Amino acid sequence: MRTSRNRVGRRMRAGALVASLAVVTLVAAACGSNSSTESSAGSAEASAAASDGAAASTDPIRIGISLPLTGDFSQPGGEAKKGYDAWVSLINANGGLLGRQVELVILDDASSQEQVVTDYNNLISQEKVDLLLGTFSSLLNFPASTVAENNKMVLVAPAGGSPKIFEANPTYYFFAQQAIGPDQANPFVNMIAGLPDDQKPKTAAYVTQDDPFAAPVIESMQAQLEAMGVETVYSEVYPPETTNLQPFASKIAAASPDLIAQGAVFEDGVSLVKSLVQVGYNPKIMFQTSAPSNGKQFSDAIGIANTEGIFYAVSWSEKSPTPGNAEFIAEYQAQNGAGLVPAEDAADAYAAAEVLATAVEATGGLDNVALKDWLHANAVQTILGELSWDEAGRPQGDFLLAQWQNGGVEIVAPPEAATTDNLVVPKPAWQ
Amino acid sequence: MEFVQVIAFGLLLGGVYALLASGVTLIFGVLDVVNVAQGAFLVFSALFTWQIWDMLGFEPLLLIPVNGALMFILGWAIYRGMVIRVAPQGPGMTVLLMFGVALTMEGILNLVFGNKFKSVTPPYFSSSLTIGELVLPWPQLISGVVGMAVLGLMYAYLRLSWAGRALRASAQNKDGAALVGISNVKTSAFAFGIGAATAGVGGVLLAIMYPIYPATQYDWIARLLGIVVLGGFGSIPGAIIGSMILGLTESFANTYLPQWSSLFFYGTILLILLFRPQGLMGTRTREDVA
Repeated sequence: MRTSRNRVGRRMRAGALVASLAVVTLVAAACGSNSSTESSAGSAEASAAASDGAAASTDPIRIGISLPLTGDFSQPGGEAKKGYDAWVSLINANGGLLGRQVELVILDDASSQEQVVTDYNNLISQEKVDLLLGTFSSLLNFPASTVAENNKMVLVAPAGGSPKIFEANPTYYFFAQQAIGPDQANPFVNMIAGLPDDQKPKTAAYVTQDDPFAAPVIESMQAQLEAMGVETVYSEVYPPETTNLQPFASKIAAASPDLIAQGAVFEDGVSLVKSLVQVGYNPKIMFQTSAPSNGKQFSDAIGIANTEGIFYAVSWSEKSPTPGNAEFIAEYQAQNGAGLVPAEDAADAYAAAEVLATAVEATGGLDNVALKDWLHANAVQTILGELSWDEAGRPQGDFLLAQWQNGGVEIVAPPEAATTDNLVVPKPAWQ
Repeated sequence: MEFVQVIAFGLLLGGVYALLASGVTLIFGVLDVVNVAQGAFLVFSALFTWQIWDMLGFEPLLLIPVNGALMFILGWAIYRGMVIRVAPQGPGMTVLLMFGVALTMEGILNLVFGNKFKSVTPPYFSSSLTIGELVLPWPQLISGVVGMAVLGLMYAYLRLSWAGRALRASAQNKDGAALVGISNVKTSAFAFGIGAATAGVGGVLLAIMYPIYPATQYDWIARLLGIVVLGGFGSIPGAIIGSMILGLTESFANTYLPQWSSLFFYGTILLILLFRPQGLMGTRTREDVA
């Protein structure tokens, strides 16, 4: 669960504030032109009819996607595109879907919530695509899921596990990761529960950014660990602007907990580690959201020796023995450069496409009503492992638990996805 | 002891803020231009520091004069090439211009460095000086001290040198200064250069403290504008006091009431502006009607 989307989202708002200054002055000039959008009502029926008619043809199956290829989410959006591209060339090399070739129609939404709505409406009513795949992040998938729901088209999203989406659009939206955001705490709590008694933490400190992806994870973890008898000795929430965690490190060191869990995005995660090293406090167990999933950016920032033993939750690993994983990595590297490890965002996009493709093959057609019924009732095998959904499109599995070991990342739980039996507990001293 | 520690953290942080904010306030004082691109200048300097450190691996602090000079030239060029053309249209247009400069720089930095965090980690990056129970992390200590020292040098230069006096004369009364032979264009370009140079130096200091990526400019410009508003636009002592207030409220709030830390700083600004709309050290501006 990388959440670079949060930090950019926040800055985007700051930028938007300044930008609105500019916009106000420009609006006057633009007032004269009043663009008229053609009726988008009735497009649902039109597209449904179109796709029914097209099902029998031998034309390519067209899948519409809007992605943030420019703007603040351009980095994860670009990775998602690489994941979709890898999938489409593999599926076409293997004979396509339902015996037809597959064509992706990808539009750029410039990381804008307004543009993503326009894009999906255009894909449905102008491009008349047969199927849709989701965009990147909850911020963009929320409005996109409303368009999909209104047009009765299935939207399988690679990133976008915010609980409110499933409440608003429960029928046609499916999140193609193992669990919703807050459930990142579960694999870590299970690991703690399985530790021998002499290694179990007795006290814990919780500190989290006031962030919609980080805070619920830490709240859930605190509640579960307290129920297991782990005493809370420090618990604080800090606002997103906080980049300097030294005061927190000092307080945590004074409370001397066995376990530290942080709801971090990136800079704050790096700052807490550096500050703990500086005050010389080393916990026995350390968990952070998001920050440690940034690979080299994380190890470069805190020093590779200091990564040893840090836990985080993740949806995918390049070492996972899941079916199709090796083929995905090979295709990704063939397209983007040898030796390049795919980003988690690329793997999530690939998995979303796998989910849609499996449903199409299973139902034998492109009827979106049949597709959503099938997905609500069945499990799908992907490179992330097996995914299945409840009545609102919420995935019902568990994330993987990752741990930094020897300068790299290993999956330590669940057992069927683990890449090592070794668990680094207690964490070695900072370097 | 905790109390002393909290104050130490706050003052060190304030020292860095002071250098950065004084650049913004100097440019405003002389030119009436709100340089909203200061954050972008900072990030540019920080990423440049990372690039050189990553390639050559030497002590990043040695880049302080290099980056200072580089940003002086860039600031000077931006003034002569762009600001001077737009300035007659009034302060609103220069804000838009500088916002455009900031966005363009961010875009270029994104293309060159990618949308990823870069970290500069010299050998002392995670060590600290311990005095009794007091822990002073080296990067913060160095940055705070260097920031204040550079600011002190700049202040002395502006007080004592002819160029500095000309600059202050221009700030007080452009027409009067012109009457005694001070070129408005030259002093303005010089002030813009100095303002940008503070970002050049500040960028090196940021680079050894925090991971940097192009969009971090928004966090910094928000902080700097807050400080300058609090201290009073155009006043360097005001910028220093505003920086120390921000550093200390951040440090105290993060220790005792973290959830409210932003509220404390912006609440302080609000309260002070209610009673002193011109900021702590600002003077009421007067528009001469010709």
